[in-house]
Amino acid sequence: MNAFLNGLLRCRRAPWEAVASILIALGVFMLMQPFALVAFTYSFAVTLVGTMTFIIVSHFPE
Amino acid sequence: MSNTAMDRVAEATPPKVARRIRGLSDRVIAWIFVAPTIALLLAINIFPLLWTVWLSFTNYRANRPNLPVQWIGLRNYERILSDADIWATMQATAHFLFWTLFFQVVLGFALAWLINRKFKGNDLWTTIIVLPMMLSPAVVGNFWTFLYQPQIGLFNYGIAFLTGVDPTSFSMIGDVALAPWSIVIVDTWMWTPFVMLICLAGLRSIPDYIYEAAECDRASNWRQFWTITVPMVLPFLMLAVLFRGIENFKMFDLVVQLTGGGPGSITELTSINLKREAFEKWRTGYSSAYAIILFVTVFGLASIYVKALNKVKDR
Amino acid sequence: MSGYSITEPSPRQKWIAGVLVIGYALVTLMPLLWILATGFKSSSDAIAYPPKVTFDLTLEGYVNLFTTQTRQTPEYLAEHPPQTWYEEIVRDKGMVIAGPSRFGERFLNSTIIGFGSTFLSVFLGTLAAYAFSRFRVPIKDDLLFFILSTRMMPPIAVAIPIFLMFRSVGLSDTHTGMILLYTAVNLSLSVWLLKGFIDEIPREYEEAALIDGYTRFQAFYKVVLPQAATGIASTAIFCLIFAWNEYAFAVLLTSGTAQTAPPFIPTIIGVGGQDWPAVAAGATIFLVPVMVFTILLRRHLLRGITFGAVRK
Repeated sequence: MNAFLNGLLRCRRAPWEAVASILIALGVFMLMQPFALVAFTYSFAVTLVGTMTFIIVSHFPE
Repeated sequence: MSNTAMDRVAEATPPKVARRIRGLSDRVIAWIFVAPTIALLLAINIFPLLWTVWLSFTNYRANRPNLPVQWIGLRNYERILSDADIWATMQATAHFLFWTLFFQVVLGFALAWLINRKFKGNDLWTTIIVLPMMLSPAVVGNFWTFLYQPQIGLFNYGIAFLTGVDPTSFSMIGDVALAPWSIVIVDTWMWTPFVMLICLAGLRSIPDYIYEAAECDRASNWRQFWTITVPMVLPFLMLAVLFRGIENFKMFDLVVQLTGGGPGSITELTSINLKREAFEKWRTGYSSAYAIILFVTVFGLASIYVKALNKVKDR
Repeated sequence: MSGYSITEPSPRQKWIAGVLVIGYALVTLMPLLWILATGFKSSSDAIAYPPKVTFDLTLEGYVNLFTTQTRQTPEYLAEHPPQTWYEEIVRDKGMVIAGPSRFGERFLNSTIIGFGSTFLSVFLGTLAAYAFSRFRVPIKDDLLFFILSTRMMPPIAVAIPIFLMFRSVGLSDTHTGMILLYTAVNLSLSVWLLKGFIDEIPREYEEAALIDGYTRFQAFYKVVLPQAATGIASTAIFCLIFAWNEYAFAVLLTSGTAQTAPPFIPTIIGVGGQDWPAVAAGATIFLVPVMVFTILLRRHLLRGITFGAVRK
């Protein structure tokens, strides 16, 4: 866990990519879940942030 | 031999410069080779995409080109993302996605594993199983409406033959409870071979010596299956799931021909809904925003997909 | 220990596997056989209740597929005896052939657009894949991802601006427009697939050719292309399957001159609903070219489908 946080702070690629992937997956889940309309409403924002993060961090060093 | 002007220049040129000239010409060739592809993709994919982004902030309607186009900010997005009907189409898509992937993975993997037992004639049967994949999805959807007909359809008769139910007692497309399954069945029929082929490729990529080593260690077949076969095929299976997932997320042709979104809007997948908004109601700005939402979602999934793909390749 | 190596399953295992796979294949084959059979049924046999497994073979469906017909009075029919075998089939229903249907045209469009775009996307894809594989291209990874991501767009989503764009430059409902569009969609796939194949051709071959005095172009043409032939073949299968069967763009962007067969076949209407024998006949004829192409090139299918992730 510590190594993970350290990686985030030092702008390393792997942990940030993991974060972005989780955000994207969460966004897609929120988009399609049948439980709450509120989650659907904010799903796009979450996916967008995740995707943007992914594009940016894929240029971070390993 | 070396008496032309060019050759004399070449001889006099220090090696460093010569290398640079050759490198430069390589670079020129690289650009000549890549340029048409990039140009075509820019013209037919990126330019339209940017246009869509712009349209998504307006109230443009393609059937009324004379109407003044107004910038309305994020209103299209707000309306789409608070629309319970669109939320419902997303759930229909989710149902379709989940079950098609589930059945295709289970059947596809099982078939690949069985075919890899290398029984006599497995090549021929693989080719036969792959046939549905080559049909046009729209034609498949259309023809299955015929197979699903309660009175005359082959499907209902097949079910009747197996279970003894009266073939006229149910209608796969007409019934609200059955219609979501009717599209799952056809998609599974059509695309299980695809998952099977990818799994088969994965199984064939496992070198024999790994199994031989396991055999020397007296590992049971069951154990070999879970510690060798499954982990080695898993990346391929993931590839198949992501590929089918993205394809089915944007599913249009098969379902629009099969059920047309009905009965009611129970099988109205997102793409079908989007087509109605864009090309029947002609709410171009609104449906552009809708398209962007779908695109960002698929693009996000694609990012994860490419990451997974690179992992498969780097093994 | 058993006498069989683990990599060679026992005969009993093979037998069970064979039975299960053949069982699945037969079930999955049923709808296909039904399409094939329905094409040769008369319209009353096609919608018989219960479904008919044995029936009299007739080419009615195929004749309906290729012709348009009108009803005529018995007097007219008596005065003009049928001249050809297909005229005779139509006469049984009290109709005469009025002319060819649009299916021939649609099929021709599919052929032009399908093979045209397949050729173009494999051609451009090979060039781009070679460059990506062999040369230092700036921002290579981003470009490659950009190329792949274009494939991920839902067709309906890009159809709106492409519709507007084609309308303004006069490309809507033209062969050129459709070929360019399908090429653009397929390029992503073909660049990725072919890069995988070309990556595996050892660079030493070309370097040897360059030392022998070949130019880059000659080396590419005479050394790389023959080596990449199987890769090109498998890429062509996937491009063709897509372009041949595509429906969404075709139905939205074409209506008359450049319409392909997939949007056309489901609209074949007979007397009182869909003319199922004609639809089935159309589906059968339409499947044949892709099927032949795929069966001819099937050995390369496995590598292509995994983006070349399987090494030989």
